[in-house]
Amino acid sequence: MTLTIPATTTLAEPKRRPFSRAKLTLLILVAPSVVLLILINAYPLVYAAWQSVHDGSLISTGDLVGLSNYTDTLTDPAFWRAVEFTAIFTVVGVFGSWAVGMGLALLLRTRTPGRGVFKVLLLLPWVVPIVVSSTAWNWLVATPQSPLPSLAHALGFGTPLFLADPTLAKITVCVFKVWVSFPFMMMMTSAALSSVDDSVYEASSMDGATRWQQFTRITLPMISRSTYISWILMTIFCVNDFPTIFLLTGGGPIDATTSLVVLSYRTVFQNFQVGPGVAIAFLMTVTLVIVSVLLYRQIRRAHV
Amino acid sequence: MAAGYSRRAFLSLGAAVASGAVLSACGGGSASSGGSGKLKFWDMPWGQANFTTAAQKLTEAYQPANGLPGASYQTIQWANFTQTFASAIASRTGPAVSTGGGFQAFQYAEQGAIAYADTLINQFKQDGTYDDFLPGQVEAMKTDRGYAAVPWLLDFRVWWCRKSLLDEAGAKVPTNWDELLTACKALAAKGLYGYGTGAGAGNFVGNQGLHLMMINNGGGLFDADGKVDVVTPANIEAMTFVQELVKIKAVDPASVSYTADNVLTQWKSKKFAMGITTAGLDADAGETDGDLQVMSPLTGPGGQKGGLVFQNNIMMYANTPSQEGSEAFLSYYIKNMKTLWQQNVVPGLPILKSIIALPEFQAQKQKAKIIAEWQPVAKTFAAQSTKLFGSLAAVDASQPLVQFAQSILSGSDPKASLTTLQSTLQAIVK
Repeated sequence: MTLTIPATTTLAEPKRRPFSRAKLTLLILVAPSVVLLILINAYPLVYAAWQSVHDGSLISTGDLVGLSNYTDTLTDPAFWRAVEFTAIFTVVGVFGSWAVGMGLALLLRTRTPGRGVFKVLLLLPWVVPIVVSSTAWNWLVATPQSPLPSLAHALGFGTPLFLADPTLAKITVCVFKVWVSFPFMMMMTSAALSSVDDSVYEASSMDGATRWQQFTRITLPMISRSTYISWILMTIFCVNDFPTIFLLTGGGPIDATTSLVVLSYRTVFQNFQVGPGVAIAFLMTVTLVIVSVLLYRQIRRAHV
Repeated sequence: MAAGYSRRAFLSLGAAVASGAVLSACGGGSASSGGSGKLKFWDMPWGQANFTTAAQKLTEAYQPANGLPGASYQTIQWANFTQTFASAIASRTGPAVSTGGGFQAFQYAEQGAIAYADTLINQFKQDGTYDDFLPGQVEAMKTDRGYAAVPWLLDFRVWWCRKSLLDEAGAKVPTNWDELLTACKALAAKGLYGYGTGAGAGNFVGNQGLHLMMINNGGGLFDADGKVDVVTPANIEAMTFVQELVKIKAVDPASVSYTADNVLTQWKSKKFAMGITTAGLDADAGETDGDLQVMSPLTGPGGQKGGLVFQNNIMMYANTPSQEGSEAFLSYYIKNMKTLWQQNVVPGLPILKSIIALPEFQAQKQKAKIIAEWQPVAKTFAAQSTKLFGSLAAVDASQPLVQFAQSILSGSDPKASLTTLQSTLQAIVK
């Protein structure tokens, strides 16, 4: 007996209906979240876009001024100074904290007694509220009689004005940011390092690889995905970081440490120029999205 | 479903919850009643915690006349207070009556959010309360459309000195700019600062001190018409004088980054021997032994004297459950606020003669001196303009002023700094 199957016979597919009961149920279930997301994200975003093309106040929208807030912002030297400092702050903040965090994460891989205590202590800069840590740093460096200037003076370095000199203020703010952020990088890197199998290192040792070669050829590539993610997150943290700068220097002296987010805040809430301030925030957002997309592309290419 | 809910019932519940959330989010703002039909009175922390306690007690003791609402008390912190008020007013959930920034009433009056106090001022004129105010203080609240607010507290910027340090340096308490320069030189020789100030994060006393020096020399930020007028001979002369102080090391080089706390630290650690600051320095420093003294107003090179005063005020808002109720409460508060000075919980200075005459206030010698000597010569932030206006809110504590103070205190050219200030302030003041 033979079984013949007609060549044209295909398995019957269920008929697709545009809105089955199951899909409708799912749509209804997801609807509250979508509505909330629209209310929480889209509405303020659209309203802010509306404000950025108006000449309004804090309590009224004002007259439509087109793109003049954007053109005024882009031709304002203060904006470009803020762009420059934001770039410096972000690059130092991201790579400085990554370097310190990576170094400590590697150190903490070694089996030393009290490793857990060190881990907790090293997390403190990240855990302590920024208001407290900025007050502590202010106490450390603000006046010529503060501990660090006094120490510098005792060592023959004069009396550095850590917050009053524009260049030193930039350095101080960046170092503060690295100090606050390295625990985050350390945690991210520690988690990534724990996923690298020790046998890979053992094999490479047998092949004669040096520690440096192991770091550059094994460790870095194998944690690259985590590294890119931490860079993206830290870039967003740095560009949007308001309290670190505002509490320590207020953006001064003479705008030396004014970042875009500080400039935006001051324009809106101190100068009461809502349109230009929101325009600055929008330009920031666009830039952040572009940078994030570029870094996400790197993640896709990264070796797993 | 195992728990006995059908899918339909579950979906209905979800839809109801979501609808509720959406409806509550979209709900219109309520009038400014603080629950139980009471008026919302928002107050700033004008002193330590004991001020808030006393002001709340005063508010809650208010017994409205028949049919009028009572009042509830809410403290608003200074941090981000502009956002707090703006968002509340925009969403129509703000107060009916409030204290706030010195120029907030004028700012919101121009935007239609303020209820003018003309009716209340007329009542004050009839019952004699108007005459209890120090001369000119109520009229300073008058705009073209009416009285934007009622003043209740004076906040001065004045010269202070630490007598023991002046004695140590062999200098006498200066009475004019020449003597100030001489004293600063003597102090600088001892490593002490004669122009103690600060222009760091959140500290606006630095630029207010410079403004005081301009006013002292017959200048200021605004002309008689309320227009920004910064590059004037009087202002250039005043800022050139400050430059001289910077050159002779009368100004702490780290001043540009000093917060209010840093400045207080320098006073307490006896590095600042003289300087311009608020009326409460001795109390803030915890010193009442008389070593910290308010100086008399200095005579400028042209023979003028001048000071800087902020008239803090209480304003009423258009969004109120009862305008008559707002007026009744504000009237009650003004007429009974002397208790705050009797309890000594307000660092600021009173605006009513009857409070100034209180023995409790007169016992505070430095404050009494400010009223006696500085109040008659003090000008408002509007400088040469006799009227206050909304743009002052944008100028006071604005970034151009902070940057200007940091430039001058860093030793930048006075005329160039003033020219930059003129253009940046004009961009803000429209």
